[in-house]
Amino acid sequence: MECHHVLNTGRMRSSWTPLGPPVSQDRIITSFPKWYTPDACLQLKEHFHSQVSTACQHRNTGTAGLRLSKVVVVGDLYVGKTSLIHRLCKNVFDRDYKATIGVDFEIERFEIAGIPYSLQIWDTAGQEKFKCIASAYYRGAQVIITAFDLTDVQTLEHTKQWLQDVLRENEAGSCFIFLVGTKKDLLSGAACEQAEAEAVHLANEMQAEYWSVSAKTGENVKAFFSRVAALAFEQSVLQDLEKRPSTQSQVGDGDGDLIRIEVPKTQENKRPPGLGCC
Amino acid sequence: MEEPPVREEEDGEEDEGALAKSPLQLTTEDVYDISYVVGRELMALGSDPRVTRLQFKIVRVMEMLEALVNEGSLAVEELRMERDNLKQEVEGLRRAGVSGSEVNLGPDKMVVDLTDPNRPRFTLQELRDVLQERNKLKSQLLLVQEELQCYRSGLLPPRETPGGRREKDAMVTMGNGEKEERTIMKKLFSFRSGKHT
Repeated sequence: MECHHVLNTGRMRSSWTPLGPPVSQDRIITSFPKWYTPDACLQLKEHFHSQVSTACQHRNTGTAGLRLSKVVVVGDLYVGKTSLIHRLCKNVFDRDYKATIGVDFEIERFEIAGIPYSLQIWDTAGQEKFKCIASAYYRGAQVIITAFDLTDVQTLEHTKQWLQDVLRENEAGSCFIFLVGTKKDLLSGAACEQAEAEAVHLANEMQAEYWSVSAKTGENVKAFFSRVAALAFEQSVLQDLEKRPSTQSQVGDGDGDLIRIEVPKTQENKRPPGLGCC
Repeated sequence: MEEPPVREEEDGEEDEGALAKSPLQLTTEDVYDISYVVGRELMALGSDPRVTRLQFKIVRVMEMLEALVNEGSLAVEELRMERDNLKQEVEGLRRAGVSGSEVNLGPDKMVVDLTDPNRPRFTLQELRDVLQERNKLKSQLLLVQEELQCYRSGLLPPRETPGGRREKDAMVTMGNGEKEERTIMKKLFSFRSGKHT
């Protein structure tokens, strides 16, 4: 929120001043994060889209850097949605189960290819009785994470229904879908492989990318959310480039710092109300 | 022939017993008593064919009365048994209710113990409102925390600094900050406001 006035008053440093305070080192993404398994992944490419790389190099990513991308996490109760988010955002793991009441959210800030980018992660209650409250928060999701417990095949079976519920509130094809198996630390060897094989199968049906994680040990948690953030970021930048009149981006590309940094603001103001990202 | 007057008197008393009863209290025994008395009186009328025809009809009426009384007493007996069963059931449920077990109220009903401090007492809408307010406050807190971090790390100049230029900047900061906060809040909750307001 502070970038505008900092930039407008010319107080900026030689490089782009990120939104808010600097992000922590482990939230800085410079190369495109890889998938978990090629058998169920959304994209197989290893680098940022060339247009996106160029835009980032020229600090010409429009409003993407100001965006909060909405991520919705759903799944049965006690699969560990809250634990997963807390591991990412607070780096803690609480053994005691405490049911989420309705919804909660966390905001996690990243810096992707030099551009600040934030995920607003909505943690929904898995209990049936809260469904009517949580479902009001499904709308406008850019990323849907359907979580299940790797040790409980029933929770995997229910992910399809959870996904359907969220998709009903969103435009078809507008969301990245992830299927995440939790509590990986409880399984090993053949049992894990078996559970993952079933999940990969379902992920392909759901057109989702599959990940196995453990909030307890932290395994794959950071890598998973980096992947989520990078995919969402890239999509945001591409959408922004599409919307932008080419002349304006030309001016932004070629001119000095001051004009360049005005671009996000102009864009922001021109954006019609209600077209927000989240 | 000398005896009848006496017997008639006796029978008259007996007969009064059955005929004086409430119809609802008649038993089959009473019906038999009545038919005995009526039969004897018919016989006393002699063998006139009209009496014989009347006798057939009376026998038929007596049979009908017998059937009605039979049926009635059976129905009464059934109802009595059912009443006793229900009484027992109610007693059982009362005792179960007192001892704290579940009472079967039928589908979609719930019993609330008003003395339980953890009883449900808020409506869904109230919970929704509280959650929404919590989320709003949380997002404001996050913004303030970020701003604080900005001041701490020197990204933003302190607000109470002497000197015209700096003061002006600080004002710009505040103005923009508020505006920006509104738009981020709007972003955060645009999907809510779109639905409700």
